[in-house]
Amino acid sequence: MIEIKGLNKYFPGRGRSEPVQALRDVDLTIRDNEFLTILGPSGCGKTTLLRNIAGLVPWDTGEILVDSQPVRGPSPERAMVFQNFALLPWSTVLANVAIGLEIRGEPRGPREAKARELIERVGLSGFEDRLPGELSGGMQQRVGLARALAVDPSVLLMDEPFGALDEQTRRLLQEELLRIWEQTPKTVVFITHSMEEAVLLGDRIVLMSARPGQVDDIIEVPLARPRSQHINELGESPEFASITTHLWTRLRSMQVLNT
Amino acid sequence: MTTSRGSKAVVQTTEAITGTQPVRRRARLRGWERAVGPVSLLAGAIAWEAIGQALDVSVFPPLSAVLGRLGELLADGTILGYLATSVTNLAIGFAVALVFGLTLGVLMGVYRRVEMALDIYVRAMLTAPSLVFAPIFFTLFGLDRITIVGVIVLYSTFIIVLNTAEAVKTAPRSLVEMARCYGAGDRFVLRRVILPSATPLIMAGVRLGAGRAVKGMINGEMFVAVVGLGGVVMTAGRNFDAETVLAVMTLIIVLAFMVVWLVERLDRRLTAWLPETNRA
Ligand SMILES: Nc1ncnc2c1ncn2[C@@H]1O[C@H](COP(=O)(O)OP(=O)(O)OP(=O)(O)O)[C@@H](O)[C@H]1O
Ligand SMILES: [Mg+2]
Repeated sequence: MIEIKGLNKYFPGRGRSEPVQALRDVDLTIRDNEFLTILGPSGCGKTTLLRNIAGLVPWDTGEILVDSQPVRGPSPERAMVFQNFALLPWSTVLANVAIGLEIRGEPRGPREAKARELIERVGLSGFEDRLPGELSGGMQQRVGLARALAVDPSVLLMDEPFGALDEQTRRLLQEELLRIWEQTPKTVVFITHSMEEAVLLGDRIVLMSARPGQVDDIIEVPLARPRSQHINELGESPEFASITTHLWTRLRSMQVLNT
Repeated sequence: MTTSRGSKAVVQTTEAITGTQPVRRRARLRGWERAVGPVSLLAGAIAWEAIGQALDVSVFPPLSAVLGRLGELLADGTILGYLATSVTNLAIGFAVALVFGLTLGVLMGVYRRVEMALDIYVRAMLTAPSLVFAPIFFTLFGLDRITIVGVIVLYSTFIIVLNTAEAVKTAPRSLVEMARCYGAGDRFVLRRVILPSATPLIMAGVRLGAGRAVKGMINGEMFVAVVGLGGVVMTAGRNFDAETVLAVMTLIIVLAFMVVWLVERLDRRLTAWLPETNRA
């Protein structure tokens, strides 16, 4: 369980300008093995919140507890998947997937065996020795996903992981992510710009409002699980339609949608 | 004298600036475009020969005479000893410059305080005409090899420092953050993220450093110690032997090209992961 209590985060302003408050009094409890999606207008602090949970950047007041332990820095228990993939362009797919294990100091043999296993799980068998630059965007993000899964984290932190992909590739990867999550449940915190994606993937949707970023609403998604086999039908269902309508109304009422 | 020194300093600074941008997009060559270089070279050679023949003065001998002289020098073996001296000086000097340049550059790129302390000196040394330090070496070490090597080191080190520091500083933050996120410490980040990402820029600096090392070698040999190939040029120049001067110059240029070619090969090996279109 991840407990976020009264989190406030400021960024120093440029020059003499006032500090920018990126997060205000964020209270949020994330259940074990829950698929949580976070939706909100651009600049509302989603990435900042995720990096706080990852332990990559400090916050100002409040606390974040993971299984009752305060977050003090990065941990392999919480693996991140990045919007821009963040693959090492000079390393092969295999080495990229294995990097978390390499950092942990695992010897080459076992870490490559583990990496191969995950490369297969994300459907990239045969591409082990390719460089990231030789792969399509969708394939690169599969590598990013495999890299995160390789360290066997209990929490997967995903910052708009499919935001840079085209519609079809995005749908394929959504299905794949759901399939993997259904087979090996873990807590997923998934940031997205897409209302549709937030509803189709999430157990709950956290709606954030901007400037300063705060939790505006939390919405339970009543769609049945497992969903990986029939994402498309779910997208046609009346429940789906009513939630997206609700989300849209809320987002529009914030009147800070970036145009 | 002063103006030529001044303009040299300007050249050196632009070198430093362009040297930090090796990743320039360039379209693939068309068939006939490949021929432009060789054709230009041929045209230059013909022009040289024609002008040399037409002028018929000893200070500007035609290409054929110069190449003939070069053939003689190589054939009777006199030049080979000088060549060996020069190449040895160059190898030692450039190796020292590499070790100093890379170490200092990485330290400056990683630690802001080191950079703040040393940046001004590095830039000063890069802009200063390195040859002015040669008499000091000469006074200290005399006609010893150290004098020439010292000049080469001075010529070559600072451009490598500057490029390396810049390269290390501009390592992509997102990749550093990725490594940190997976629990990497400073040494892992340096070894597996910062240095590989900096390699193309570092190698651009090394390439410039190699060219400047050759320049330093010749200047040192000509104006300080009068040894090696530079010494031959100097002596021939005093005797108004233009054929020998130009013959040895040709040899030196070929030597410089070979050094740069070697560095480029190394560069391609180290940065094989860069897409072909991103090469300078
Ligand atoms: N390093 C930083 N320095 C200063 N301000 C920052 C920094 N990072 C983020 N901010 C500010 O904090 C706010 C939240 O940024 P954040 O990146 O978390 O938003 P986001 O919700 O992820 O936006 P997007 O949807 O565009 O990715 C923004 O106003 C941004 O300008
Ligand atoms: Mg963001």
